[in-house]
Amino acid sequence: MEIVVCVKPVPDAETRLRASPDGRTLDPEAVKFVLAGYDESAVEQALLLKEAVPGTKVHAVAYGPAPRTEEVLRSAVALGCDQATWVDSGPDATGDPIVAARALAGAIAGLAHDLVLCGKQAGDDESGLVASALGALLSVPDFSCVVDLRWDAATSRFRFQRPVEAGLESWTSPTPFVVGLQQAWNDPRTAKLPAILKSRKATIGRATAAAGTGGESRPEKFELPPPRTGAKMIEYRTPQEAAEKLVRILREEAKVFP
Amino acid sequence: MPDFSLSPEQQSLRDLARRFARSEMAPHAAECDRTGRFPEEIYRKAYELGLMNLNVPTEYGGSGLGAVDQCLIVEELAHACGGMTTSVIANCLALEPILLGGTPEQKDRILKPFCAEYHLASFCLTEPSGGSDAGGLKTRARRDGDGYVLDGEKCFITNAPHASLYTVFATVDPNLRHKGITAFAIPRSAEGVTPGKDEEKMGHRASSTSTVRFDGVRVPAADRLGEEGEGFSLAMRTLDQTRTPIGALATGIAQAALDHAAAYALKRQTFGKPIAEHQAIQIKLANMAQAVHAARLLTWHAAWTIERGAKGTLESSIAKCFASDAALHVADEAIQTFGGYGYMKEYPVEKLLRDAKLTQIYEGANEIQRTVIARELLLEYA
Ligand SMILES: Cc1cc2nc3c(=O)[nH]c(=O)nc-3n(C[C@H](O)[C@H](O)[C@H](O)COP(=O)(O)OP(=O)(O)OC[C@H]3O[C@@H](n4cnc5c(N)ncnc54)[C@H](O)[C@@H]3O)c2cc1C
Repeated sequence: MEIVVCVKPVPDAETRLRASPDGRTLDPEAVKFVLAGYDESAVEQALLLKEAVPGTKVHAVAYGPAPRTEEVLRSAVALGCDQATWVDSGPDATGDPIVAARALAGAIAGLAHDLVLCGKQAGDDESGLVASALGALLSVPDFSCVVDLRWDAATSRFRFQRPVEAGLESWTSPTPFVVGLQQAWNDPRTAKLPAILKSRKATIGRATAAAGTGGESRPEKFELPPPRTGAKMIEYRTPQEAAEKLVRILREEAKVFP
Repeated sequence: MPDFSLSPEQQSLRDLARRFARSEMAPHAAECDRTGRFPEEIYRKAYELGLMNLNVPTEYGGSGLGAVDQCLIVEELAHACGGMTTSVIANCLALEPILLGGTPEQKDRILKPFCAEYHLASFCLTEPSGGSDAGGLKTRARRDGDGYVLDGEKCFITNAPHASLYTVFATVDPNLRHKGITAFAIPRSAEGVTPGKDEEKMGHRASSTSTVRFDGVRVPAADRLGEEGEGFSLAMRTLDQTRTPIGALATGIAQAALDHAAAYALKRQTFGKPIAEHQAIQIKLANMAQAVHAARLLTWHAAWTIERGAKGTLESSIAKCFASDAALHVADEAIQTFGGYGYMKEYPVEKLLRDAKLTQIYEGANEIQRTVIARELLLEYA
């Protein structure tokens, strides 16, 4: 089986963010970009399927600017992906999800793919559109918020579930198809040191972004939330003391109780 | 020009160590410190990720890292727990005599199976009658047939109760002093090898330290490392390699102390403002930051010197001595920044002081480092 897994470099949760000088976007200068969140789960799921289904190959594909996109692909290779392809967005990409999906679809169309795995949404913009757009652009079915994704060799179909408002839907789908993954079977693994060193020497394939129209949205302004004020830390030694102090503050300072 | 930037490869190694330190080590640091538990499950995970036999070349199953990369990893680990780090890197110390003095046959036979699975090894130099004066060690190696019989006792040996392999320094003739010292690789399974019980320590309580007795232990000549009489030089050359990572370990403790102190200073209010706005605390933090930064750069410089093939005795002694003194000082100032809370075990900084203290003592006490620094220095003026 051939699995393509799409990954996007997103700011590390521990990075301190700031706006870029033009005030339109996040300033990438000071940011550490990583493979994280749902994308990390998608890679984990791809690798679990590879372990479960003999002969499976996993190909990581990412669209974005240098150097972060190549770095995130190396992380995917260190985790166990067999190959990687970088679709260069150039330095001035706007981050429009349709543009990203078109670029990814252009690259994926040229690769063998029974399953295209994406995180259900990216850890930064959380737009959650790329998986569905890929389905449309590749003319294959797509499903989002997928959990418990399993290959059923007997029927040559994938089985999976989707948690919805009122319960859990169970589905099957023929291949090829696109999945926006909510959760892998396991917590994502950690790459081992020898694999990290080896991934530095891996060849990252290059593809150019497909041209097309649509998806010209661009951000106007990027602002960080104003620093929070008024938070009060309660120091305490016992839960009893914490509760007493909290009640006193609620009563005397916040005047929530008479 | 020297280049202080880290390559993408070095950044990813550091990220791996940081992630492991924060997610696997830090959550257990306080508990292991309190109870003295040896968290073997954490050491096993460190092994599985490739964070254990850092200095062993990949052909023998290690990670094959250079000195700078080792320092980057050790600093990150020590930021989470000095004691666990001591136990994680003890293999590097114990295996270095084999790397430096072993024949290709010995490396193949001893290192390959050792590194292929999770195993701990211990470096056995110090004895109850003295650590600094290693030339005067008393453990005897008597020639016997085609091998040796060892008798004696070692003390303060890191990981000894859990190790499956010991590198042991013994003398074939005490009258020869340094020139009689000979190194051996001895499996725990050899008859007459008895590790003692875990010592109660001030700090590094997640690590394990004990005596090891050798009573009539037969060692085949094939397990002697180097020639008879080469053991002392092998021990010193080993310490030349491993001293710098101790500087990195101390830097990690110091950085942790600074991180805690700065975060606390922004939060704690006195006289109507955060203590970080009182100049006395600002000066403290500024001095701590200088010490941490200098410790890191000295460590990197020593590692860089060694990677370029030099012995680096002077540079590594300076790095280890400075970084360990800095760690003690910065941990002390972190406690002062916390005030009374700093003195309480409930807060993380008093542990850092206790952990920092060891870095001034082991792998050559700082008095010995200063003796070495002065000797190397004066050579340049003589
Ligand atoms: C937790 C822990 C783990 C350890 N792990 C190991 C290990 O794995 N393997 C191992 O072999 N050893 C290990 N050691 C031993 C350590 O390396 C020694 O404790 C250290 O070398 C000092 O030796 P000593 O304790 O015998 O002190 P001594 O040598 O008795 O020194 C006592 C004091 O006198 C000073 N001094 C000694 N000689 C001189 C001199 N000529 N000039 C000036 N001052 C001098 C010393 O600096 C020290 O302050 C460990 C120690 C500890 C505490």
